[in-house]
Amino acid sequence: MSEPRAGAAGNWDVESLLSDALRPIEPPERLSGRIEDTLAAITQAAAEELSDWAEELSDEELRALRDPRNWVRPVIAVGAGGVATGALVVLELRRRSRQKGESGLRSIASGLRSRL
Amino acid sequence: MSGASENVEPGELEPAAKAELDRAFEEFYRKHLRDVYSYAYYRVGNHHDAEDLTEQAFLQAYRHFDRARRESSGRPLRPWLIRIAHNLASNYYRDRSRRPQTPLESADPIAARHDTVAIAEGREELRRVMDNLDNLSEDRREALIMRFALGMDNREIARALGRSDGATKVLIHRAIKQLQEEMSDE
Repeated sequence: MSEPRAGAAGNWDVESLLSDALRPIEPPERLSGRIEDTLAAITQAAAEELSDWAEELSDEELRALRDPRNWVRPVIAVGAGGVATGALVVLELRRRSRQKGESGLRSIASGLRSRL
Repeated sequence: MSGASENVEPGELEPAAKAELDRAFEEFYRKHLRDVYSYAYYRVGNHHDAEDLTEQAFLQAYRHFDRARRESSGRPLRPWLIRIAHNLASNYYRDRSRRPQTPLESADPIAARHDTVAIAEGREELRRVMDNLDNLSEDRREALIMRFALGMDNREIARALGRSDGATKVLIHRAIKQLQEEMSDE
């Protein structure tokens, strides 16, 4: 830094200048908090959306999920929300299965699991 | 991950796999936050937009992290991450039809990194090189930012820019040569 980096013929030590000029920039502390909050909010929102959706299903809709042609919606939702939200669908199906004592839902959940 | 699923009950694997993925991403994020922020800052020239761009880059990376890991075959993911930031920065200009609002030299990364004496002695030289850097073509400027601000080697830069190793080497060589010529002409 203290010595000029141009030779007598005006040949600049550009690489040395670039090393000094293009120093890494420390991100502000608030940025990491902001990004972590956003990621947490996205995961939470996706989980809540799927949980709400599973709660809203009627028994008839749950039965309809036996048909693979009806698996598009949960698969799309899981694609948007990640593996954890996929697990939520399965858990909700399991919970409803336990409550209603409908053993056929186990196969739906298994089918979904194998495709998620 | 798919291999492990053969031996583990899916109901047990999914939350565990998710937890492992999140842990890996958190580590990845902490390791490369400064890289993405530095890159974004030197691209857009101000802290406000650099923060937005950095956030968007990590959100996109999070969405595709699992797949990127599977397809990386163990190679470092930094070039992939910087490529995301690169694409976002390109869209940033395209969508808003603008160049950096704040010239790099007045964004003052220099003042934040050097003591007062060093600023007095070297500031003019650094301003000149930043001035000339801003006049380079986008690909040459980007390659130099990746090399000097992020410390990426030729192979990493090549992957980030979607070029061959040879073409990247030539790109960097020509960028430095152009800077030398322009500074010598002044």
